[in-house]
Amino acid sequence: MMMYHSWDSQNAWLRQILSENSLYMNRGTAHELELGDGDWVWVESHHGRIRCRLKTMEGVEAHTVWTWNAVGKQAGTWGLSPDASEATAGFLLNHLISELLPRNASDARRLTNSDPVTGQAAWFDLRVKVSKCAPGETGIWPVFAAAKPLPGDHGHRPRVWRYHA
Amino acid sequence: MKLGLVIDLDTCVGCHACATACKEWNASSKVNGALSDYEPFGAEPSGVWFNRVRHYEVGDYPENKTINFPVCCMHCADADCVTVCPTGASYKRDDGIVLVDQDKCMGCNLCAWACPYGARELDQVPGTMKKCTLCVDRIYDEMLAPEDRQPACVLACPTHARMFGDFDDPQSEVSRVTAERGGFGLLPELGYAPVSRYLPPRQPQPVIDADDARALLERGLASLASPVIRR
Repeated sequence: MMMYHSWDSQNAWLRQILSENSLYMNRGTAHELELGDGDWVWVESHHGRIRCRLKTMEGVEAHTVWTWNAVGKQAGTWGLSPDASEATAGFLLNHLISELLPRNASDARRLTNSDPVTGQAAWFDLRVKVSKCAPGETGIWPVFAAAKPLPGDHGHRPRVWRYHA
Repeated sequence: MKLGLVIDLDTCVGCHACATACKEWNASSKVNGALSDYEPFGAEPSGVWFNRVRHYEVGDYPENKTINFPVCCMHCADADCVTVCPTGASYKRDDGIVLVDQDKCMGCNLCAWACPYGARELDQVPGTMKKCTLCVDRIYDEMLAPEDRQPACVLACPTHARMFGDFDDPQSEVSRVTAERGGFGLLPELGYAPVSRYLPPRQPQPVIDADDARALLERGLASLASPVIRR
């Protein structure tokens, strides 16, 4: 409950609470799949695949996986140091989901793949396959090259941050 | 007076709003001075917080429960963090609040070792110890509306899982809710007499399946029938 999408999650205080995410899976299900805490896993859908770290828990339905999405950020963005864990360990599920529903032959208009009431992306009916990575396959994937700094950004970041009364 | 907090583990959703609201108020407070953050935009950000929220799971799926567990200073009645302080910087007020005089603290860490709740945080910039003040600079401020004279964490909590008041007053909200809900202090066996109280999670109603429903119905019918039979 402590995270809501990417907006302002780069905040100096909020990222002390959460600066990277894991893929959460029911512990019993993970045991059946011979997966354990901290394992690197491939997550595949009809649309794409990602590699990320698994974390097991009790409080998730046995056939559902979840994560705090949008903690993951491209290196060099959001004013963070390129080695920030948002870039080195955080990941996005977005590579797994299509933005549009399949084209309907009777309707030229492509419909957005989202909940018709809330507009939330249709994660609820996205089916994924989770499998253990081969030995040596570690680290998040895909990874993109660090973004170029914005004009005028010379990379200075305060090492200590204090507000004064 | 014995001022303290009640934290309701039944309704806390673990959102960390108490922690950030605390940081927001106290980071610019004159009581402790600024609360430093180290490498805030780097690989391992850290900093001084008075309020931290842990998350635990108890039981196995599907009989499991998530416990969100906020911890800050308990404002102990018998506060060892005060007793061990060699400079007199750490002190307990008549209203029960434990504070650190920043001008007297030399950052020796003895109080942090004495505190079993991890409630004390050394600010590495001035080299002094800081801690929850129970928002002493809010609760007596007559410039604030009466309902705002509460700690920032209490005002921020979206599920009203935090309450503030005087445990010496048996009619106060904190005393009443503690009595009604079986509120408990943490680690009482250590003898520091923590003042703040936690309310235990309530037992969820069991989910009834078809067989249970039939059994319940039969038991219900039997209970209705039994007086007749006994006669």
